[in-house]
Amino acid sequence: MNAPLFKFGLFGNEVSLIVAFIIGIGFGFFLERAGFGSARKLAAQFYFRDMAVFKVMFTAIITAMLGLFYLSWIGWVDLSQVYLVPTNVWPDLLGGLILGVGFVIGGYCPGTSCVAGATGKVDGYWFILGLVFGIFAFGEAYPWISDFYNSSYMGQITLPQLFNISYGVLVFVVVLIALGGFLLAEKVEKYFAKKDAEAAR
Amino acid sequence: MKNFLAHLTTQRKLGLFALVLGFFAIFAGSPYNRTKITLNAKDLALIAEKNADNVSVQDVANWIIQGKVDFRIIDTRPASEYAAYHIPMAQNIRLSELMDQHFYPTDKLVLYSDTGEDAAQGWFILKGQKYQAVYILKGGLDTWKNQILFPRLPDNPTPDQLASFNKIKEISKFFGGTPQTGTKEEQSQPKVKNLPKLQLPENIPNATPRKRRKEGC
Amino acid sequence: MDTLTETIPASKTETKKTVKEKTAQPYWNPYFSGIGLGLVLLAAFVIMGRGLGASGAFSTVVAVGVNTIAPHHAEGNTFYQGYLSDGVSPFKNWLVFEVLGLIVGGFISGALAGRVKKMTEKSAHISFNKRYMFAFIGGALMGIGAKLARGCTSGQALTGGALLNVGSWIFMLMVFAGAYAAAYFVRRQWL
Repeated sequence: MNAPLFKFGLFGNEVSLIVAFIIGIGFGFFLERAGFGSARKLAAQFYFRDMAVFKVMFTAIITAMLGLFYLSWIGWVDLSQVYLVPTNVWPDLLGGLILGVGFVIGGYCPGTSCVAGATGKVDGYWFILGLVFGIFAFGEAYPWISDFYNSSYMGQITLPQLFNISYGVLVFVVVLIALGGFLLAEKVEKYFAKKDAEAAR
Repeated sequence: MKNFLAHLTTQRKLGLFALVLGFFAIFAGSPYNRTKITLNAKDLALIAEKNADNVSVQDVANWIIQGKVDFRIIDTRPASEYAAYHIPMAQNIRLSELMDQHFYPTDKLVLYSDTGEDAAQGWFILKGQKYQAVYILKGGLDTWKNQILFPRLPDNPTPDQLASFNKIKEISKFFGGTPQTGTKEEQSQPKVKNLPKLQLPENIPNATPRKRRKEGC
Repeated sequence: MDTLTETIPASKTETKKTVKEKTAQPYWNPYFSGIGLGLVLLAAFVIMGRGLGASGAFSTVVAVGVNTIAPHHAEGNTFYQGYLSDGVSPFKNWLVFEVLGLIVGGFISGALAGRVKKMTEKSAHISFNKRYMFAFIGGALMGIGAKLARGCTSGQALTGGALLNVGSWIFMLMVFAGAYAAAYFVRRQWL
């Protein structure tokens, strides 16, 4: 099998848009299934009450990571054709920080805000308005910040390449981090649930 | 052991499965797998016999003039020779670096060297990596120079030869070459000084073919 | 605390509603949702050779908006041009279609589970308007952060995380750090 199918010419740009739509449906479906259309559930992560954000995100990451690793190992997928967003260390760092702050203030992220809007959440609509405004503000400020935006460029680089460790070892490490994180998350949730119950009495 | 597994919740079973998969990943080697190639000898032999493995200099010249973006030209010569002159839009990739390149699987890849032997080696390397459209520039750079840059009009041209020469003349000028019409031997010897400079004519699109659509978030 | 009880005649408790009201079902186990999400992501990798995303679609909308209202201004700005100069209609964009699917998929899941309802997510300790204001501010910060980092949680964290992308892991760590750091200051909104 020659995959990624699109890169090997199995279908053209027009069909890829239909593929996008279908994949989007799956994406939105599972986001809502997990309860990520609710800002309160999302924000609860950052008060240690509900670690679903961490659980869902890391489960998804290790599922896709293991799937991709083994599919390319048996030769079905050409991993080098899968697009990797180039790394710009400082913009990634600062962007992540700002995004995190925005996450807990706004209660959504761009993907989940669409799900929230789709299920009628009014605050989701306000969030989307803010999102559009934020992007616009960025666009207007771009001429002044484009130097920073393009700084500390490292190209397309993966963790195995950076640490010069084999890909498989890093896969294992990530699985360990995820599973360990899950165990810890369960404990933390229980701890805070108890604390909340005690405070309510 | 069976007892242990039976007592696990589905979640724990999945977690264990992930752990096992992750553990085996350590020994699975690199998923990129970029040192060995597999060749289908019969296919390649047929392609070579039918001459479907090369393109003419005229075809390549036309592609460049028409501004097509679905092909890549690869110059396999050393960097110094590439710097002295290379076909417009060509990239300098040595044979040893060929395995590390990532082209679009559906791009047309045209290899050239001075006469074509190195390019032929590169052809096998790229074909072995499942690129579908790999070609050798027929005759190599020498033919490019002879037919495109410095096309020669024979001494007593027939009307056909004159017509085709006139066509080639325009192409030659496009690439900054000098069509040779003189009968004197000295004039028809392309001197090193006459090789066009590295500046590409303005109407040639930039050397990165096929603008990739944004694939980020 | 004394609780007052009052017997209510049976007729008064009869609901006159003829519309079937589905009670909201509980959410799926996060691990199973995560596997589902991971499989969708894997499908994107295998079929398209790219991952998911969301903020890019909004950037396209902004770029088209600016271009419609002030084309000269948009021309001079490299950022907007990045979303406009493809030669084809900017809306014929993979992310735009994916986000449309996102909305549909979210709605389907919500409808099936009885979770489609006009409401506002907030704690009891804050007013509606304040929540809307925070949602807007949060969204604006997210927009800036997502553009700086060339992605949001779907594109950079999920996709890049699965691909072991260096920038994505840096991003992901900082998202959690920033959110936890700021959580204390807005706890009224949620707790």
